[in-house]
Amino acid sequence: MNIDQLKELSRQSFDFNTQKANALRKAQSDQVLVYQNHIFRADPETICLVKTASEGGKSFFILDSNSNPVEIKEPTEFLDLLLKKNQSALNAYHQLYQDIRNRKV
Amino acid sequence: MTTGVLLYCFDTSQVAYSKITERCVALIKKHLKLPITVVTNWDTYKNFGPMGMINYKIMDNETNNTKLGKPWYNLERHMAYDHSPYDLTVVMDVDYFCYSDKLLRLANTESDFLVHKDAHDVIKSEKMEYHRDAMLDLVWATVLIFRKTPRTKAIFDTVRLVKQNYVHYCNLYRITYPNFRNDYAFAIALNQISGHGDYDIIPDSIATVPADAEILNLEENGAVVRWKDITVKLCDQDLHFLTKEVANV
Repeated sequence: MNIDQLKELSRQSFDFNTQKANALRKAQSDQVLVYQNHIFRADPETICLVKTASEGGKSFFILDSNSNPVEIKEPTEFLDLLLKKNQSALNAYHQLYQDIRNRKV
Repeated sequence: MTTGVLLYCFDTSQVAYSKITERCVALIKKHLKLPITVVTNWDTYKNFGPMGMINYKIMDNETNNTKLGKPWYNLERHMAYDHSPYDLTVVMDVDYFCYSDKLLRLANTESDFLVHKDAHDVIKSEKMEYHRDAMLDLVWATVLIFRKTPRTKAIFDTVRLVKQNYVHYCNLYRITYPNFRNDYAFAIALNQISGHGDYDIIPDSIATVPADAEILNLEENGAVVRWKDITVKLCDQDLHFLTKEVANV
């Protein structure tokens, strides 16, 4: 490869990384969930905590994204919503990622 | 309880904010479906095209501020508490375009005041930082979500005090930016009213199109922007356009 081809490859990689970073930030924003008037992130950490805490089937306490305590009285419902939100955000991210990788954008 | 959007729009000699507002309003109607009140002056009011059902509040705005050397008329935001006819208000810059229902979702929380602390540049893909000399966390007053409570009244009253004594507060918090900015004023007010402690924030980052970016296309669900040889397509997410070229696309 000559220097122009190498530069072009570098530029394409930069473009890819920029678009990927934007798409990832969008996914993180899409994961914001409001439940019982509190803000949560439907991220792996929250999902794992809720999954574990809900195994007893009883209500439990959790901190929202601003560290305010919330009693979750319907663990199954909350977990379901978190998973749906998480997967919806990641599905959109996956589609964007494929588009970026295939140079559709 | 009533919920609505409050916009401040004042044309300057260099930027037709009325044109930006027309786009902003269309997107609010599509994605948030909330009633809208526009605070404006007579000169700007005459420049608006048809926008459907909108409430207008006409006032004489202050015209003695600049941003990056250009006239910048956005000194009335501290009066949003009094200007808003809604119990729960979403105040946003007119160059903040809603391509999602994110703000609608955030309106249903128990927090009486929400603001972003983070914003990122969609071109350089990095966090947008203020001058870090300041001795407090700064906020982006681009979007404010507030409910009318004694505490939020106190926040807006404090913003007014900060505005009236801006040099003093800048010295107090080691803010070196010389012109008045709502971002700093609200950061100071929130810091004071929260007893110099934490306050509730919107936990994501504002996707920001920088001032020197070129807008190639504004589409139904997003925008295509370019800076030098970098082209980025952004869709289905809210965008804050610092480039005022958005008035002309």
